Amino acid sequence: MIEVKNLTFSYGRDKQALHGLNFTVGNGEIFGFLGPNGSGKSTTQKILTGILKGHGGYASLFGQDISTAHTQDLYRKIGVLFEFPYLYANLSAVDNLKYFSSFYPVKQLRDIGEILEKLEFKADFMKKPVSSYSKGMRQRVSMARALISSPELLFLDEPTSGLDPSGAVLFRKIIEEERKKGTTVFLTTHNMLDADLLCDRVAFMTNGNIVALDTPKRLKEQNSNHRVRIDYLYQGRCEEKVMEMPELERGIPFRHDEIISIHSEEPTLEDIFIQYTGRGLS
Amino acid sequence: MWNFCSLFKNDCQMMLAGKFFLVAFGSLMIYTLFINFGYVNFMNAELYNVYLFDPKGTQQGISELIYPVTSLEELNMALSTDANGVGIDASSGTPDIVFYFGSEKADNHRTDYALSLLRQGSQYTAQIVGENTPELKQRKEMSCELLFIEIIAVGFLGIAAVLFKEKQMGVIRVHAVLPFHKNLFIVSKIMVFLLSDLIFAALMTVLNVGFHEAAGILPDVLVQTTILSLIMALMGFGCTMLLKDFRQFSLAYLVIAIFAATPVFLSANTSVKMAWIGWHPFYHVYMGLKNAYFGMPVTNPVYYLFFACGIAILFQIVQKAFHKEMGKEG
Repeated sequence: MIEVKNLTFSYGRDKQALHGLNFTVGNGEIFGFLGPNGSGKSTTQKILTGILKGHGGYASLFGQDISTAHTQDLYRKIGVLFEFPYLYANLSAVDNLKYFSSFYPVKQLRDIGEILEKLEFKADFMKKPVSSYSKGMRQRVSMARALISSPELLFLDEPTSGLDPSGAVLFRKIIEEERKKGTTVFLTTHNMLDADLLCDRVAFMTNGNIVALDTPKRLKEQNSNHRVRIDYLYQGRCEEKVMEMPELERGIPFRHDEIISIHSEEPTLEDIFIQYTGRGLS
Repeated sequence: MWNFCSLFKNDCQMMLAGKFFLVAFGSLMIYTLFINFGYVNFMNAELYNVYLFDPKGTQQGISELIYPVTSLEELNMALSTDANGVGIDASSGTPDIVFYFGSEKADNHRTDYALSLLRQGSQYTAQIVGENTPELKQRKEMSCELLFIEIIAVGFLGIAAVLFKEKQMGVIRVHAVLPFHKNLFIVSKIMVFLLSDLIFAALMTVLNVGFHEAAGILPDVLVQTTILSLIMALMGFGCTMLLKDFRQFSLAYLVIAIFAATPVFLSANTSVKMAWIGWHPFYHVYMGLKNAYFGMPVTNPVYYLFFACGIAILFQIVQKAFHKEMGKEG
């Protein structure tokens, strides 16, 4: 679906934003693009969506070189959710969606009411102007805008930003449903939980380079110290022991009355990110 | 085509929401009221009333515009209440002029006018060399000036107001990923303003010059309006894309108003002469518009070629600025 080879981009002479990126995204895959502000995530997404011109290297969408491929046909197949909910504040949710959907062929459009309902949009706000919406409601309308044309490839930039925890769960569920339908998702995020729960593979970006690219599970395994921490009770006392995994193969090799908990010492995605890049995500 | 209709409809809605049409309609009403009830009246002084005291009936064949009075007291009373009036005392058989002092030149005129009314019988013939009566001339001049101001000021600010709103809302960036040719976004905006300006120009001309006279000059007026409107709309679009906010735009607007429009008005309408004004493109558009109002349209193809090239260059600049804006961070 997406193929990127040695992708470079520069904002002026001395501001190299991308230093030769290489990755591919398969059909129906959710690909996470993670990195701190200024790492080159948005630049990459803008190049792939045809907003930024003048890149070096090669990048293709749907097998077509993006230097020549950003035609109307291609834009009909992609949906983009921006980091901020860009909507006409004077129009209602329904009018915004009617306007933005008017650029697509009718046969590929989804029903506006149905999609807003799926996003748990408050029905009594449907015809009120966007200026009266909360950030979460605006984000729902923006997501509806990205999905309204039934895209084959979705670019999502911080989809759960501005949502409460239940809203974030709902969005993850919807993204998962889209994948099940065969939609490919290019997810740009700071949110490690989103990446961990949703992505088939993730790429860590820093200073315009991809420093790691794999499945979240494998990244965690590769960077694990293969130890477990066991909390237990013995003779009325609460104790803790850290052990290598192989030591557990024949059972728990120490005296105990009761096992309270066993924690793997597996690192989180954020730990791994810091390990690779030497910096946090904020 | 369908995409263009969507964009055009949305732009019209944005302008309605921004009350642009209301402002334009308000301007049209104010300009029309000013021309019809203010300007033309200020410029056309009323005729002097002439009062005649002629107890013996010595004056024959006098004009119907003369008011006869029956006594000197009545004559004095009439002049005291109508200070501009002119009295004629013909009680001695010869007409003596009586009036309150105004100014030397005006008083000579008043005297000549009053005496001319006593000799109404003498016929005269005059050759009509043109139909631009002083009033019509004034109407055309003022309509031209106000139309020029409207397009330069209100139209220019209007496009900025609409575009800054869209810029603030970030929706310009959404259009970057919609399936339509991006130039349509620019063309749609320009078309809305052009149509609005053309309708404004047509109404302004018909309401202030009269339907019959307007029918003859309107095509040429609309051609000149199109040139000016396209230049201003593209400049407004470009400034909105390049400048950060409406405050910066206001400064740019001041520069345009002071350095672009003022010398044009001064050169075209007053005795102030500037040698360099021939290099000022707006001066030529203004003169083109003025000549169109007076039935002498510009026929030189170099004029049209020059402005066609100018508009094409402005469009290229706007296109670049628009693409830059679409690629900006949120």
